[in-house]
Formats: sequence, structure tokens, C-alpha cells
Amino acid sequence: MSKKWLAAVPLAIAALIFATAATGSGSSSKGGGTFKLGTASGIDSLNPFVAFNQDAYSAFEYIYPILVQYDSHLHYAPFFATSWHASKDGKSWTFKTQPHAKWSDGKPLTAADAAWTINTDVKYKDGATANVAGLVSHITGAKAPNATTLVVNYDGRVNPSWVLGQFQQYAILPQHIWAQHLGKKGAGLKTFPNSAPVVGSGPFNLVRFKMNDIALFQRNASYWGPKPKIDVFGLQQYSNDDAMITALKAHDLDAVESVPATTMKTLRGSGFVVQDVKGLDQTDFIINSNPKKKKHRELLNLKVKEAFDHAIDRKKIISVVYLGAAQQPSSIIPAPAGAGWHNTTLKTPTFNIALANKILDKLGYKKGPGGIRVANGKKMSYDVIIPTDVQSLPRTFQIIQADFAKIGVQLKQDALDSTAAFNKMTGSNYTYQGFDIAMWDWTALIDPDFMLSVTTCAQWGGWSDSGFCDKKYDKMYSQQQTAATPAKRRQIVWQMQAYLYKQRPYLWLANDDQVSAVSKNWAGFTNTAQGPFNELSISVLTHVHQK
Amino acid sequence: MLIEAPPEGGTSRRGFVLRTLRHRPAAVIGTTILVLVAVGAILAPLIAPYGLHEQVGPVFGRPSWSHPLGLDDGGIDMLTLLMWGARVSLVVGFAATFVSMAIGGAIGVLAGYFGGWVDTVLMRITDYFLVIPDVPLMIVVAAIWGPSLFHIIIVIGILLWTSTARVIRAQVKSVRERVYVKRARALGAGHARIVLKHVLPQVAPLLIANTVLTVAVAIFDETALSFLGLGDPSTTSLGKVIENAFQRAAISAGAWWAIVWPGVLVTLIILGCSLVGGALEDALNPRLRVAHLGARTFRLRPLVGRGQEAL
Amino acid sequence: MRGADYVLKRITFAIVTVFVAVSLNFVLFRLAPGTAVSNLARVPHATPQLRHALEVQFGLDKSKGAQYVIYLKQLVHGNLGISFENEQPVSKNLRIDLINTLPMVTLGTLFSILIGTLTGVIAAWRRGTPTEAATVSSALGFYAMPTQWLGLMLIVIFAGTLPTGGMTNEFLLNPGFWQHLRDLGSHILLPALTLGLTLYGEYTLIVRSAMLETLGEDYILTARAKGLRPWAIVRKHALRNAMLPITTLVALSLGYVVAGAILIEIVFSWPGVGRAVYLAVQERDYPMLQGAFLLLTISVVICNLIADLLYFKLDPRITE
Repeated sequence: MSKKWLAAVPLAIAALIFATAATGSGSSSKGGGTFKLGTASGIDSLNPFVAFNQDAYSAFEYIYPILVQYDSHLHYAPFFATSWHASKDGKSWTFKTQPHAKWSDGKPLTAADAAWTINTDVKYKDGATANVAGLVSHITGAKAPNATTLVVNYDGRVNPSWVLGQFQQYAILPQHIWAQHLGKKGAGLKTFPNSAPVVGSGPFNLVRFKMNDIALFQRNASYWGPKPKIDVFGLQQYSNDDAMITALKAHDLDAVESVPATTMKTLRGSGFVVQDVKGLDQTDFIINSNPKKKKHRELLNLKVKEAFDHAIDRKKIISVVYLGAAQQPSSIIPAPAGAGWHNTTLKTPTFNIALANKILDKLGYKKGPGGIRVANGKKMSYDVIIPTDVQSLPRTFQIIQADFAKIGVQLKQDALDSTAAFNKMTGSNYTYQGFDIAMWDWTALIDPDFMLSVTTCAQWGGWSDSGFCDKKYDKMYSQQQTAATPAKRRQIVWQMQAYLYKQRPYLWLANDDQVSAVSKNWAGFTNTAQGPFNELSISVLTHVHQK
Repeated sequence: MLIEAPPEGGTSRRGFVLRTLRHRPAAVIGTTILVLVAVGAILAPLIAPYGLHEQVGPVFGRPSWSHPLGLDDGGIDMLTLLMWGARVSLVVGFAATFVSMAIGGAIGVLAGYFGGWVDTVLMRITDYFLVIPDVPLMIVVAAIWGPSLFHIIIVIGILLWTSTARVIRAQVKSVRERVYVKRARALGAGHARIVLKHVLPQVAPLLIANTVLTVAVAIFDETALSFLGLGDPSTTSLGKVIENAFQRAAISAGAWWAIVWPGVLVTLIILGCSLVGGALEDALNPRLRVAHLGARTFRLRPLVGRGQEAL
Repeated sequence: MRGADYVLKRITFAIVTVFVAVSLNFVLFRLAPGTAVSNLARVPHATPQLRHALEVQFGLDKSKGAQYVIYLKQLVHGNLGISFENEQPVSKNLRIDLINTLPMVTLGTLFSILIGTLTGVIAAWRRGTPTEAATVSSALGFYAMPTQWLGLMLIVIFAGTLPTGGMTNEFLLNPGFWQHLRDLGSHILLPALTLGLTLYGEYTLIVRSAMLETLGEDYILTARAKGLRPWAIVRKHALRNAMLPITTLVALSLGYVVAGAILIEIVFSWPGVGRAVYLAVQERDYPMLQGAFLLLTISVVICNLIADLLYFKLDPRITE
């Protein structure tokens, strides 16, 4: 393994010292300084083939070259790719990339790195690179005829917005580092820790990383794009919200990614700027939709699911659990997703206990002892799996439980940590026989492809937590990837949402807002649907500066 | 062994315990606290001012005349929560203690009475249980097998029986040497009869003292488990009340009442048990230099007596 | 003769206990449902091949018996395995965690001894007065408080004055030695204080009862009659009597307190052994969990052994 990148470390540290000494603390200069951001989530791994958390992907956005990004209107804008076009048959895409770009260890960054990353991901997509396999689906290969041209070939015509949507999330890795860690059948890719200082190329370099603690990003002086105004940016992880907000109030932090709803009022009162914007996270009530489900088959009945949907008091959930900082959800693609992806014709089901009771009465499920209905000889009494790491769920569950009692359905809480929860839901061989109902949450992306994929048959054993598997739906899914025009794709995406609306593998509970807080001493820190520290673009942290 | 055994016949179970509770000031205070809490907890369904799941105001509502202790993160009256919470906490405490008493008492009696290799084997097993890291074990069990009340009670019980076993064993040993017991053996009385008729009554006051102390530790453990997110989510123990408030950033939101009162109540319960149990132990063995608080160094062995068997 | 016999017996027992602990640790974690592979294999298009490849990588594909033997062999060589989470040797992770936990726990224990001794002396000296009642009551009161709750209360009180989370200020880049020390000091204060406050009650009671015992002795009355000042009497005679139980208590407590500090480490985000255990459980990081359990068990066994030997050596009333 090349150790030449180690030479960059003392340089980085020297630059850091110089920068810190130059600006000093309490300086009122417009540039420079250290921006401290608090998070309750954190970067779970620096390896893109292993990482799960949003914070990790947001970090990659800032330290790795990515072909395209979103602009403020959520349209695609150039990033590492300066321009692009598709071939006439739509099966081949050509990207022009930044000339004279360098990695943080000084090695040249060219289209060849992009080609290598894509080809490697395609090669091992059934194994080590399965995490990113969705992003390179339909790709047969990539090549770089010269340093600034990347050509990507597909197995058929693919939809333009879909292509760009995938590349918007796709981090290009340095071939000269990662090629040495392939291991057997690429398995080494998954176990390479990629520790700091990370060899990357972005407005920042990740120079220090301690798991569950801190990640320090330092301004990249040789970056080919817009340079940040600050010198250093730190992402500090807290194990609980109270500690984090206390640190914010004590000015040990400058901003917090996501602020608990209960603290919005006091923070505003203490002089912080609290930004409440519509978000992409939605909590859900998951009904096991495995068609081969053995127990409680009444849950596969669409009418039963509809009745359940009318027994959920979303207004109360939003008011009590989120203190109003949430929206009524209606679809698997939340409204803040850009470019009109959200199907606006779908309306949130009304809260109507009488209607729910009527539907269940009509199905012949009479109420038995204790007021609990009986379906097919068994009580309508279900265990609801609740992962312990989603804070809003316990209160939400209590509200739903009380209302379901009014329609004769008994719900019992089964709290497990997320690993045990997912295990129980999928079952030992991913047969999805082990659960009836669960609650969890999804954070959608701007491009709808990922969110729509979680209910495909192919995601059994992968992202699927509902066991939903429907051939008609799967067909629509691949159609939207290959639709000829953006308009056609949008049409199919709307159809898919309407289809899931009726099939109800998920009953959507609340679309929580993204609420962040920042000290009044800083400007340029804007919140987005994906939070201030996001994987949409590099605009926030390159714009933030001291007042 | 320099434990001064209580005079024969002078510690009839009921009389001794009640006398101690009435005369020693520490015991009086402790008993008062416990009785008040128990009454509130038992009568909760009847006298709680509001419903346990009833939202009666805004989230984290401030204390007011109608809600003197404020509201929690679900808009539920804190006083109601405390009463019901004490109920669950006490149930867990007693259930876990029962498990631990049953195991510890049995092992202590067997080891103390039979002595010899039975004693050695049982004490080695006890020593092994003493060194298991308790909080990590509780975390593992609850996280991996699920945090049901049943699992929690079993786990706490399994971790707490060791101190009971040791204390009982020491007491049984001293009783066994008494003249009337030896006489009974000589007359051909069976082991069971001797244990039941002669040994247990003498051991009972110490067992009661130990029970009370174990309840304190059990409640403390359950609070810790709830804080780690491993409490049974379908019940509301005092530990869960603290945990809920903590998860919803009560302190940062300025809602100190959501955390302070449940903590105070737990402290009072544990304090009450410690006072009562400690007073009983003191009365029984004035020269027993027992670090009997034991709630934190959970299974601290009593620094009792001299000689090998004491250790 | 008896002495050497006793010592040997205790040491043998300690070794056997450690071995039993090692084996039972192994069993405990293999019995648990869900493995780290299930987490890592949770990817789109996850195939049985991927799962198998990961299992081979982590050695989870062999029979339980074979895994046990491998585990023992590695243990003898000081190899505690590789953490699933960060791909680093468990021993390295634990060493760092231990280095973080020990100062906090040591300082906390020192606090508890100091506060406990002071209050114990006051309580004994002022026997029968309200001062004694107040001192003992507050000792018992603090002792009865749930650790995490007391920590939270201290955070409420000291937020803004003292740092309330973490071990150091991570943004202090390349601090000087004194700056670094001051930074560490300000961070360690609240966690150690929490630990100290929750534990000092035991010392209060022990010191008080030891002193009461001694203060009633004839030679004390003689000393007082001779005009010896009270503090000299306390120091020379009464405290010495308390040394034995205090020392034993410290030795015993140290073994447990590393595990017991879990709650404090979580409240204050202190990156020590306790917090590592908590996070490892969530990640199903079995090598870390096994390693941590082993570490904690061994520390308890060693501390108990030390306590036994100390007691044996120091107790003047053991005649053999």
C-alpha cells in the first residue's frame, strides 16, 4: 500500500495550525474559523460499501468527486461533470469531467477513476459492492477514452432523469488507493476501513475521524470547485439530544443538524435561529404484505388495511409527537421530493373511527370477548415490532394503540433494537413469515428510484421490510428506469404511488419536518429537506461563514 | 465467628421485626416513606387524579394548580404517572426479589446447614455469579432477547441472589451449632424438620432485612435498564418515566419537572428500603460491619466476621 | 503455613473463575439471535453468496466447537479478535477505552473516599446531634439516587459552567500541555463527581462505625484526658481502625465500578469501556462484547483477590 499520502498529513496539520493561529478565536473576520455542527446520528463508516447513515453519505458528498449535484431548485447541475449528453439510442452517456483535478494526495483525478469505480461496482454487484448495486443497475461498462471524458454504456435505453438521479448519489473513489484492497472476489472492499485522513477530492478533506465521536473536515486549498469560506468544519456526535442541545446553548456547538421538536421554543427564546422546513422523513406502520404469509392472512385483505388507515389520528400524532413540526403524509414519495415526483392527487386517509368500524363489520369480523374482533377464528390481536432507535415511535404507537382499541383491534408493543427488529421481520431465511406489523421510518431521496425500489421483489433480503412482492409493480419499476422522456417517467412514478396507495404495504403516519438550529453568529447556514448537512449539494458548508 | 447471635427466644420473628421498626428512628422514617408510597401505588387505579394515557394538556405542560407536578411529553399528568409508575416499579422490585430470595435463600440454607462439600460447591458457584459483570449482562439479555418485563425480572433476580445466599449461610451456620439443634439431631429428627422448625425461624429476621435491601437494588437495576432503553415498553415504571423525559429532551426543553419528580420518588423508595433493611440488620447484628448498602457494588460481600468462612 | 495455604487457594480459585468466565462468555454470545453478518448483509440484492462470504470472513461458518477452540487459542496469545465495527483489534479498542475510563473512575472513587471519610468522621464525632443525623441522611440520600438521574441533575445545574459531555474538546487542535490538561480536567469533573456522590455513602457508614467503636475505648478516654487534640486522636487511632474495611471496600468496589460506570459514561458521552459495551450490543459486535466482558470479569476477579489477600494480611484479629 502506497504510503505517500502520509506526507500530506503533516502538511495538513501545519496548514491547520497556521489557519487557526491566523484567525484566532473571537476574530470577526468574514472568512475562516471553525464551524461546529452537532448530530445525534453520526457517520457509521467511512467505507461507502458499508455505510448506512445519512451523515456518512453527506460526508461523502463533501469529500469525494460526484458527477452531478442539485441546485437550489432541485434541478441537476454540473459538479465533477462539466457537461453530459446521451447517445441517440439512449444506451450510452458521455460525461465531460473537470480538467487538472487532483486527489488530496496530489495524484491526478481523471475520468479513469470514475470508469474504474463504475466497473468495479458492476463487477462485484452481487457481492462486496451490493450496497451501491442499485446505482449502477443497467450499466454494462464504463471507459475513459481520455482524462476528461467518461463514457457509460447501458443494456438498453434509460431515462435521462433516472441516470442523473443515480449519479447524483454516486461517489467516485481513487483507483490508486482502492484497487489495492480488492481482496478475494472484491471482499476486501467491504473490510477496508478507509481511515482518516481520507484520500478524496472535494471542498473539504476529512482529516480526523473517531467513530461515535468526531469527524473533522479541513478546507481543501487545491479544490477545483468553489472554495469554502471556513477553515475547518467539525461534525460532533452526541449520544443523546439533551447533551447536544445543552452544548448548543453553551455555545460549544455552532449548529445542530436536527433539533427535537420539544426544544424548538426554548431555542428560539435563547436567541438561536431555528429553521423548520418540510422534510423527507416519514414514519410508517408496516403491514406484512408477503403474499405467502401463513398467519393472520386477514392482513392481506386490502379492505382491512383501509380500515386501519382510517383509524390513525395523524393530526394528534403530529401535534403530540412532533409539536406541529410535521406534515400529513399520503404517499411513499413525500411532497418535498423535487421536480413534481410526489403524486398530488393522493389524499391522506381521513381519521374516521366509525368508517373503520363499518368496514370491519362488513367483512364479518365480529367483536368478541374484550371487544377484540375475531377474523378467521383468530383474535385480531397483533404484536407490533418497534425498533428502539426511532424516538418518535413509542409515543406514536400509544396514540395508535388507543384508537385501534376503538375499532376492536388489539396492538401489543414488541420493542427490539434495530438489528433484532430487522432480523425478526425478515426471518431466518428472508421468508418474511415472522411478523405481522411493525413500525419504522424511511428517509426518501429526491430522486424517487430508491424509495420505489424498497417494495420490489428484488429487495427481499435487502431493503424490503414489508415483504411486498407484486409482479405488476415490479414491471412499472423497471419501466420508469427506461422511460423515454422525463414526463413519461413522471407519469409512471405517479402510477406506482397510486398503486401502493391502494395496496398499502405501508400506512404513512407523519412526514416530519427537518428542523435545524444555528447560532446567530453565523450566516449562510440553510436548512433543506434533507437537513443542512446533506447529500444534495455542497452549497451549505461552502457558503457558511461568520458574521 | 464474632457475630453476636440474637438471644434464643428473644427474636420471635414478628415481635422482633416490629419492635425494631417502631423504635429505631431510621426505621421509622423508612417505614413511613414505604407505606406512603405503597398506599399510593396500590390505590393508584382508584385515586389517581387523571387517566394514565389521557392527554390533559400540552406536551411538557408547566406545573399548575390542577397539575401540581406538571405534564410529561405526552401531555399526561405527572402525579398520575408517578402513582402508576411506583406501582410497576414496586412490582418489578418485589418479583425480582422473590426470585432472588428463593434461589439465594435455598442455596444459603443448604450450604450453611450441610456444610462440607455441599457448602464448598455451592459457594464456588456463588462466587462465580458474583463476578459476572451485571449491568453488561442485563444489557445483553434485554437487547438480544427482548426487553419484556419477564426477562428483566429473571435477569435481576439471577444477579442478586448471591448476597442473600452468603448472609443466610453465615446465619444458618451459627444456628446449626446451637445446643437445641444438636439435641434435635441426636433425637433423630430429620433434616427437613430441623430446618423448618429450628433454623428458618432464627434466620427469618435476617432474611426479611435482606429482602428489603434487595428490593432497593432491584428497583435501582430496573431504573438503570429503562434508562438504557431496555425497559419493557408496554409498562410505565418510574425508570421508564425518566427515560421518556430524557429521550424527548425534557431538560433542554426546560421541562425539569418531567425528570426531577420521578427521580426523587425513586430515590425515596430506595432510601426507605435501605433505612428499614439497614435498621433490621443493625438490630440483629450490631457488630456486623456490613457494607450493607450494596445497591451499587451490587453484590458486595458482607465484610463480616473473621476467618475463612466469613470471606 | 496456613497463610500460604490460604493464598494459594484463593489464587487457584481466581484462575478457575476466569476460565469459567471465558467459556460462559463465549456461550452467551453464540446463543444470542442475530449476528453482525445480518447487519452487514442487509444490502440490496443481498445474495446467499454475500452472506456466506461475510460469514467466512468473520469465522462464523465453522462449527461452534471449532470456534470455541479457535477462541481459546487466540486468547492465550492475547488476541481478542477483530471488532466487527471498525475492523481494529479488540484489544486495541479496549485498551483505549480503558485508558479513558480509568482516570474518571479513579477520580470518582477518590472523591467518594474523601467525602465519605470526612462525613463519617463528622458523624461519629458529633454522635447524637442533628449534625450526625443530617450527615448520615444526606449520605444515604445520595446513595439512593439513580446514577443517571443524578448525572442529569448535575448537568442541569452546571450547564454553561462546566462541559457536560465528552472527554475533551475535540475542536481544540494541537493544544499545549497545560491547555490540554485543563481541558481534560474540566470534562472529567462532572462524571467523576457523579460517581463520587453516588458512592460515598458506604464510606460514611464504615468510617462512622469504625470510629464509634474506637472512640468508646478506654485508651481514647485516656488520650483525651491527657489533652490530646481531637483531630490527633481521630487520626492516630480511630481512622486507623477504619483503614481495614475502607481498603477492602475500595478493592472490592474497583472491580465493579468499571462496569457500573456505564450509566455515567452514557449520560456524559464518555468514550470508555461502559459506553463501548453499550454500543457493541447495539451493533452485535461480538468480539468487542466478549472482550469487554472478559476484561470486566477479570478486573472483578483480580480486585476480589486483592481484597481477600489484603483482608487476610491486615486483619490483626486473624490469629492463625
